[in-house]
Amino acid sequence: MSAARGIARRILAVDDELQILRALKATLRAQGYEVVTAATMEEGLDAAAVSTADAAIIDLLLPDGDGIELCRRLREWTSMPIIVLSAVGEEEEKVRALRAGADDYVTKPFGARELVARLEAVLRRTSPGPEESVLELAGLSVDLADHVVRRDGAQVHLTPTEFELLRMFVRNRGRLLTHRALLVEVWGPEYADDVTVLRGQIANLRRKIEPADRARRHYIRTEPGIGYRFDPK
Amino acid sequence: MSRGSSVCAVREGPEGNLLGRRSARRPSPTAGVLAAVALVLACTAAVYPLKQITAVASLGVVYLLGVVVVSAFWGLWLGLLTSLLSAAAFNFFHLPPVGRFTIADGRNWVALVAFFVAAVATSTVSERARMRTLEAEARRVEADLTAEMAQLLLGRTEVPDALALIGRRLAVLFELPSASIELTEVAPDARRQAIPLMAGARRLGTLLVPADLPPRVTERLRHRVVPALSAMLGMVLDRERLIAETVATEGLRRSEAVKTAVLRAVSHDLRSPVTAMIAAGSAVRAPGLAPGERDDLGRLVEEEGARLARLIDDLLDLSKLEAHTVAPRLAECSLEEVIDSALATQPGNAAVDVRIDAALAPVRADFVQIERALANLIENATRYSNGEPVIVRARPVGDRAIIRVIDRGPGIADADQDRIFEPFYRAGDGAGDKHPGSGLGLAIAKGFVEANGGRIWVESVPGQGATFVVELPAATGERQ
Repeated sequence: MSAARGIARRILAVDDELQILRALKATLRAQGYEVVTAATMEEGLDAAAVSTADAAIIDLLLPDGDGIELCRRLREWTSMPIIVLSAVGEEEEKVRALRAGADDYVTKPFGARELVARLEAVLRRTSPGPEESVLELAGLSVDLADHVVRRDGAQVHLTPTEFELLRMFVRNRGRLLTHRALLVEVWGPEYADDVTVLRGQIANLRRKIEPADRARRHYIRTEPGIGYRFDPK
Repeated sequence: MSRGSSVCAVREGPEGNLLGRRSARRPSPTAGVLAAVALVLACTAAVYPLKQITAVASLGVVYLLGVVVVSAFWGLWLGLLTSLLSAAAFNFFHLPPVGRFTIADGRNWVALVAFFVAAVATSTVSERARMRTLEAEARRVEADLTAEMAQLLLGRTEVPDALALIGRRLAVLFELPSASIELTEVAPDARRQAIPLMAGARRLGTLLVPADLPPRVTERLRHRVVPALSAMLGMVLDRERLIAETVATEGLRRSEAVKTAVLRAVSHDLRSPVTAMIAAGSAVRAPGLAPGERDDLGRLVEEEGARLARLIDDLLDLSKLEAHTVAPRLAECSLEEVIDSALATQPGNAAVDVRIDAALAPVRADFVQIERALANLIENATRYSNGEPVIVRARPVGDRAIIRVIDRGPGIADADQDRIFEPFYRAGDGAGDKHPGSGLGLAIAKGFVEANGGRIWVESVPGQGATFVVELPAATGERQ
């Protein structure tokens, strides 16, 4: 939790719905964040410049432009994490926002827990703590340094590609990884659009690390049309 | 104009144009004159040897051959010309005194006059026969055309497509530079004349042909083609109107039923979570609340809010489906991933047994829509399965993927099996509150599956559970 580190992180929230801003403010303050609010794109740009926010939460629908445009303008000078708020069924907009530089999205209506978890995950990107080389989860343990993966205590053999994918996932726990990001990182830039290859490897990796009972699978989550998220519950 | 088989019905056939093939191929008058001269010369030559055998006065009949041929191919006037030429040649070359246009013997006068009368009669008869043949052929072609128009108009072709084809056909048959049929009233202009297509006093449309047609062709169009075309067009338009009215009435009736159901849902299903949330909101501010109670109230607001949100999403999806504005974003997707995603949306305590055939190929579909459809089916099955695990099976059958969602619930009576996919329809209506759901899940599942080119149905033996089956086309070979 940020408050525990001493200095409160400052979050910029941009939404023209005052009730939602109110709820965001209350939720984030309760988690120890400082909150700056803005109701329009222009206000959001000003506030970001003046207040040196650590991250931004931006609604995709703003009265004087759209959230995607705001992401693009912010990305011209800042690399702070950005989460966009979208409505159900706006898959196209989500993808465009991610291309414009957003790090993640949360679908409205969202729960406070979900939003805070996403925020913490994207904030970890800019200030990574000491790299965890060992991950222990119920039923799964991963030792990145020693290349050892165990499911329910039994060692699992992963191919080098599967291991690289898992390394990406573990290092980016809770964060949205787009198809492109995974392909570029694990296979190289020339494979950036080869989603079929990625899908095959993900299926193999899931078979090896996820529980046999499909209904209990929960480590690697599919974000339809966008990518994957390693998000053990 | 891609609507298949009836297009083939337009034969660019060998029957030529409507004015008759002979007239179409009738050589120019110049050729007629040349032919007449040639034939007269040939006949003149033929008489020389014959003169040795019989009396020359009776040989005028030889020239009738040429007269018949010319009349049959070039008509009456050239036939008469040939008769004159023949008479002159017969006189000049064969009737004594030869080499002059004078006739010495009175009997030869009789021969010449008799020949001339016979020639004129022959020309007239040949011309008549020619006209009859042409007429008969024209009628036959008209009958063929009428049959063709009927086939096009009454067949499966759309009316505007059929009219375009008929227009092209008319242009070919009548040798017109252009011909088109409009379903509106079009005014003639400098280049085009407009022939009205009427059914009684009702204007059906307009036949547009070039303004500079020979009157003969225009007359034919007006009297031999337009009446049949108008009659058939009137019939087809009436039929289309009746079908459209039936569909509209049916749609209206259905949308009325949906509206009623929506109103009922709004009055009950939307209001109850709101009531709970407002009550919890007031309660949470009451003094002296135990921390556990506050927590409970907060959770209640969250849960009821989520229920409300879900219902609103469902209503939105349903209205889009009813309005046919759901455009699937088709992409190759792995059913394994879709099913995993659908499972991830189920509450943690749902018991689902999933088995996916390793040979299952990807499908071409909208990931989110199919996920919603399957999630709704699994949720529905869980609701009725009385705690027994729900079984999900996916396997390939030919070039399609079959997904089965099986529950061990009470099953669905035959009478309900057709209606279960209707919005707000709950099997055995009345037991509603025992199995709360929006009543939209199956309707949405059906809508999404069908929007993605698939089929959905239910198989059930009452008392032994129900199986919902989804069939989707495999991605291989089917790209669009």
